[in-house]
Amino acid sequence: MSSHREAPAISKDPVADNTDTYAFVSPDDPNTVTIIANYLPLEGPFGGPNFFEFGDDVLYSIYIDNNGDGKPEVTYRFRFTTNVLNPNTFLYNTGRITSIDSSSWNRQQSYSVTRVVGGGAATTLATGLACPPCNIGPASTPNYARLASQAIHSIAGGRTVFAGQRLEGFYVDLGAIFDLGDLRPFEKLHIFGMANSPGVNATKKFGVHSIALKVPKTDLTAGGGNPTDPNSPGSVVGIWAAASRQKSLMRDAGGVTVESGGFVQVSRLGNPLFNEVIVPMGQKDNWNSLTPQTDKNFLANVQHPELASLLPVLYPGVFPNLAKLSAARADLVAILLTGIPSGLIPGFQNFTGNTKADMLRLNMAIAPTTSNPNPLGVVGGDLAGFPNGRRVFDDVVTIELRAIAGLTYPLIDPSYKPDGAASAVTDGLRQGDTSYLSSFPYLGTPSSGYATAPLGKVA
Amino acid sequence: MKEMTRAGFVKSSAAAVVGASALGAIATGTAEADEHAGSEPVVAYVRNPSKGEIAVMSGEREVVLRDRRLAARLARQVR
Repeated sequence: MSSHREAPAISKDPVADNTDTYAFVSPDDPNTVTIIANYLPLEGPFGGPNFFEFGDDVLYSIYIDNNGDGKPEVTYRFRFTTNVLNPNTFLYNTGRITSIDSSSWNRQQSYSVTRVVGGGAATTLATGLACPPCNIGPASTPNYARLASQAIHSIAGGRTVFAGQRLEGFYVDLGAIFDLGDLRPFEKLHIFGMANSPGVNATKKFGVHSIALKVPKTDLTAGGGNPTDPNSPGSVVGIWAAASRQKSLMRDAGGVTVESGGFVQVSRLGNPLFNEVIVPMGQKDNWNSLTPQTDKNFLANVQHPELASLLPVLYPGVFPNLAKLSAARADLVAILLTGIPSGLIPGFQNFTGNTKADMLRLNMAIAPTTSNPNPLGVVGGDLAGFPNGRRVFDDVVTIELRAIAGLTYPLIDPSYKPDGAASAVTDGLRQGDTSYLSSFPYLGTPSSGYATAPLGKVA
Repeated sequence: MKEMTRAGFVKSSAAAVVGASALGAIATGTAEADEHAGSEPVVAYVRNPSKGEIAVMSGEREVVLRDRRLAARLARQVR
């Protein structure tokens, strides 16, 4: 998945598992940028009585690199506190929850937001911000959309924040892809092929916990200016998110745990699928502990991605040109590690320099596409989409599949002719397989436990 | 994370008082109450006893002490 359960260690720690990171110029508020960091993969909406929540013991962070060094110049930190009103009941809610401060919600969660610039002291932007409860069902959380909207908070500096459950926005056919790279629309061509069939959105109806932050563009730039020139290096920022835990955990008698020590990063995410698909299994946990400035150590994995060599094997005769492409994939290095320099795509650049660092790179001077945005982003001719940052509905699976299949290599070597399949390959899903909001926090209203049926069998 | 010698650690780090006191008690074999010990748990992590590196943690505070003798003494308790 984008980064759900993508590494052995973090797959055992879902509360800290950063599953997706999004960053885009807010389409309905274009002087701002919205950044969303998701955690807690594959929340079954009926997962009670201890429904999903952020970890009080996890430090959640969003990082901004505005000088291309792969290190954060601006950091937003989020810390959560859970308040149990009545510890003598097993109930998540003791009655109907009609407002986020309802005393019927027995396990209330709130959070603080701090901002750090460079190595300076942290500035507290807000404390005691209420999260919404999870969407349980019509008896417990009626009119959930209205209830959750109460958890959208305006805070200092023209910033807006939301932290709580959302509908998963990332769509992917996990069941097929992890079955030896099967893509159902092209199943007949697979080495173990069957009849072609439509894609299945494996994340449909699942929830996720989102930290959504909308800030003025001036919050992110090096000089505090408002970027207006798409060609200016100063218009581009690198963005990633992470989660950290304290170094030591002691499990004592009586169910008591004691955590202590400094915070150690256990999860991070810039570009979707980087750790998932590019980094080999033996390095994934290590990668999660690192900052992007060290990603030059993974350059060879980007230059020669394993998936590019697998596609011609899994789909015999379908990718003959890709099979012969042995050169280092400078196109993928640009997309994932440095940004795309000027001159390769008319009107576009998101280059941050030669430091190899896995970050989303957002050119904030490129206006959002408000009419019929193309979920294929830049490769689909829509310069406001991935890999120019990442919007909630961008089809990053198809984009990255096609890029790895060779579709973007002519940016570097115009004499290379991509295989016909490189511009057609997909897992067969589209943005309509889930739903979104047109305004902050943009990810859709989560499905309730009551209204969600367990997974069925593919027809 | 700070790094320092044991002497510097004991002399200069106010934040390390809790950890130093606890380790001192172990090192000397005494178990006297110390008004500076506090009640917050303290964790000492001896990553590699032969190198004498001891991380002392309490709350979000963490200091690194280098003391081969103390590390070896701690290790002997569990071997």
